[in-house]
Amino acid sequence: MSPELQSIVALIVVVVTVALLVARGWKKRRNPGCGGGCACPTEKLKR
Amino acid sequence: MALPAHISASPVAAPSRTLVYALVGNPNCGKSTLFNALTGLKQKVGNYPGVTVEKKVGTAYSQHGQPITVVDLPGAYSLAARSPDEAVTRDVLLGRRADTPQPDRILCIVDATNLERNLYLVHQILDLGRPVILVLNMMDVAAASGLTIRLARLEHELGIPVIACEAVNGKGIIDLKLAMSRADLPLSRHAWDIPAAIAPAVAELQASLTSSDGKAPLIARAEALLLLTDQDSVRVAGSRPLSARTAEILRSWQQRWARDGTDWAGTLVSSRYDVIGRISGDVLQAGTATGASISDRIDGVVTHPVWGWVTLGALMTALFMSIFTLAEYPMNFIDSQVAALGEWVKASMPDGDLRDLITDGAIGGVGGVVIFLPQILILFFFIGMLESTGYMARAAFIMDRLMGRVGLNGKSFIPLLSSFACAIPGIMATRTIEDHKDRLVTILIAPLMSCSARLPVYLLMIAALVPDDRVPTMTKVGIMLLMYALGTFGAFGFAWLFKRTLLKGEPPAMIMELPPYRRPNLIEVARHMLERAWLFLRRAGTVILGISIVLWFLSAYPKAPDGTPPSQQVAQSFAGQAGRAIEPLIRPLGFDWQIGIGLITSFAAREVFVSTMGVVFNASADDDDTEPLRKALLDAKWPDGRPLFTPLVCFTLMIFYVFAMQCVSTLAVVRRETNSWKWPLFQVGYLTGTAWLISLLVYQGGRALGF
Repeated sequence: MSPELQSIVALIVVVVTVALLVARGWKKRRNPGCGGGCACPTEKLKR
Repeated sequence: MALPAHISASPVAAPSRTLVYALVGNPNCGKSTLFNALTGLKQKVGNYPGVTVEKKVGTAYSQHGQPITVVDLPGAYSLAARSPDEAVTRDVLLGRRADTPQPDRILCIVDATNLERNLYLVHQILDLGRPVILVLNMMDVAAASGLTIRLARLEHELGIPVIACEAVNGKGIIDLKLAMSRADLPLSRHAWDIPAAIAPAVAELQASLTSSDGKAPLIARAEALLLLTDQDSVRVAGSRPLSARTAEILRSWQQRWARDGTDWAGTLVSSRYDVIGRISGDVLQAGTATGASISDRIDGVVTHPVWGWVTLGALMTALFMSIFTLAEYPMNFIDSQVAALGEWVKASMPDGDLRDLITDGAIGGVGGVVIFLPQILILFFFIGMLESTGYMARAAFIMDRLMGRVGLNGKSFIPLLSSFACAIPGIMATRTIEDHKDRLVTILIAPLMSCSARLPVYLLMIAALVPDDRVPTMTKVGIMLLMYALGTFGAFGFAWLFKRTLLKGEPPAMIMELPPYRRPNLIEVARHMLERAWLFLRRAGTVILGISIVLWFLSAYPKAPDGTPPSQQVAQSFAGQAGRAIEPLIRPLGFDWQIGIGLITSFAAREVFVSTMGVVFNASADDDDTEPLRKALLDAKWPDGRPLFTPLVCFTLMIFYVFAMQCVSTLAVVRRETNSWKWPLFQVGYLTGTAWLISLLVYQGGRALGF
């Protein structure tokens, strides 16, 4: 893979990652917390 | 063998609508264990009061295969709520919550070893006029202590099904499910003669609750009884207020009773206790065992004013010894595998941005964090053992005297202990604290307890601070203990300050139940550890990976002219510019712009500091190797050639992380729990300000002393 093509693919990966992080942050605004990462209730449990 | 009447297959067809059962009982009587056994879910359990502070919903299945909704409610000693978690239980049972339907039936779980005390809540619940099943849990413990309970007699007295159960071993669950499946559960025959002088007040309030608040007659009666004996001062979000008419009637009766000077509320409570005392006398047969139990003998040591502290210190030392010794081999293995993966990618791909993104961003960032998995597992093994055995409540007990000096009580220490795992469940656990100001103080200081996210930062800094393998493990253990002690005593210091300034108030007396010691449930501990491992890896594979990729871009762009050394490239990148922007603020602490990038990114989560260092220092490495992060840090230099990560800088950085408020999730939870942005913003200000000030004193003081 040429360096130019690598740069394009890398930038696409970065853009997709930013979009996913923003979407995740937006989702957490509705239900703030640790997302289950801190011994909070598992996703199967509804509050 | 014929089954008792109350658990025989019902001749009536199973109801078509999904039944809703509420699971209620005193704190630490095994509600969540029973909830897990009924629903197959994995709600957190522990051998101390206050594990569940919010209602949880799951599904069980009847003998006919019909779904049954089970609502696990926080523990309460009575329906007269004294704290926010108890208010949730009261409001769900009384149908006060707009977001939760009133349960059709109630599973009342009691600790068989403390039947008389547990029956107070049961008695209040029977007033609600809903079908109730009584579950006598921990029958094995009761039998071992020589206690005999006449089940048939209790069933006759209360007129409801009574099921003997050992939820932790799964015994009695089938009988319970059969009873829950019955379409024709009987209503209690329990009769309670309310003192005649109080009856008019109950009747008037009941009528108003029925007509103005839309309550069913029996629920209205139960709520009338509760309102007349309770201050009803604890209100939580989602709770429907009383109608103006009912509130007015209540106020007028309270004023009339105050004028009379007769404690009718106390009379009402006493008459309930009289009934409970009579029932207990009939059904309980105490054993002949005398003298101190094993639990009492252990408590003689672990709650002793001197030996209690020695025990706590020994446990903490054992924890950190394990972290430094047992974790070394798996950690080295993961380290070598991460490095080998980076080398393989570098050898397999030609030069270019994508290769750098994979090696410097993804592998460098995530790999730097993942190697701490063994230590995280050891930490949670110890926490799980302490929770499972019942030691947590003892730690709170010995802390009570110290907590009293700073204006709090031992009850605040349970949330603080939970914060050693993570501040978020710790802050949620403050719902068990009755006093609003004490709860707020505990929320404000909870992030000072060193959470598991700080562990990778401490370990990386200790590795850089004392890199020599010949340094005794006890030195590293000592540094780690110092960090945990600094956070803990810092929390006490701020509690003392807040209780005398912002949130003045008298320290309340602590009444806390010490649960009996139990053999640790190793399966539960192992399951919890695996769950933590999965969560840690999932976090590494999502948030930390994402931030590492974005950080790689920020440290690789804008591109410097060809031939620029990698370190110069990072310096003039977006990330480098951000680090340089805050460098004047952090330079007095001995930190450069590269550390500054880590301080900025770790606001998302503290362990991101480690992945940031992995990205920044791997990206700026001049050779083609993916260095282990610890080595890269030791090689880092200031522009004038001085080493960057001196022992003093590493120590200062650890102290900064002890105090700094570097966790956006915690802030979101504080906002939710305090229902205001004022307190989370105050928390950021005071904690980060303190971190900066103490770091400045340590660094400049250390330099003045020649370190």
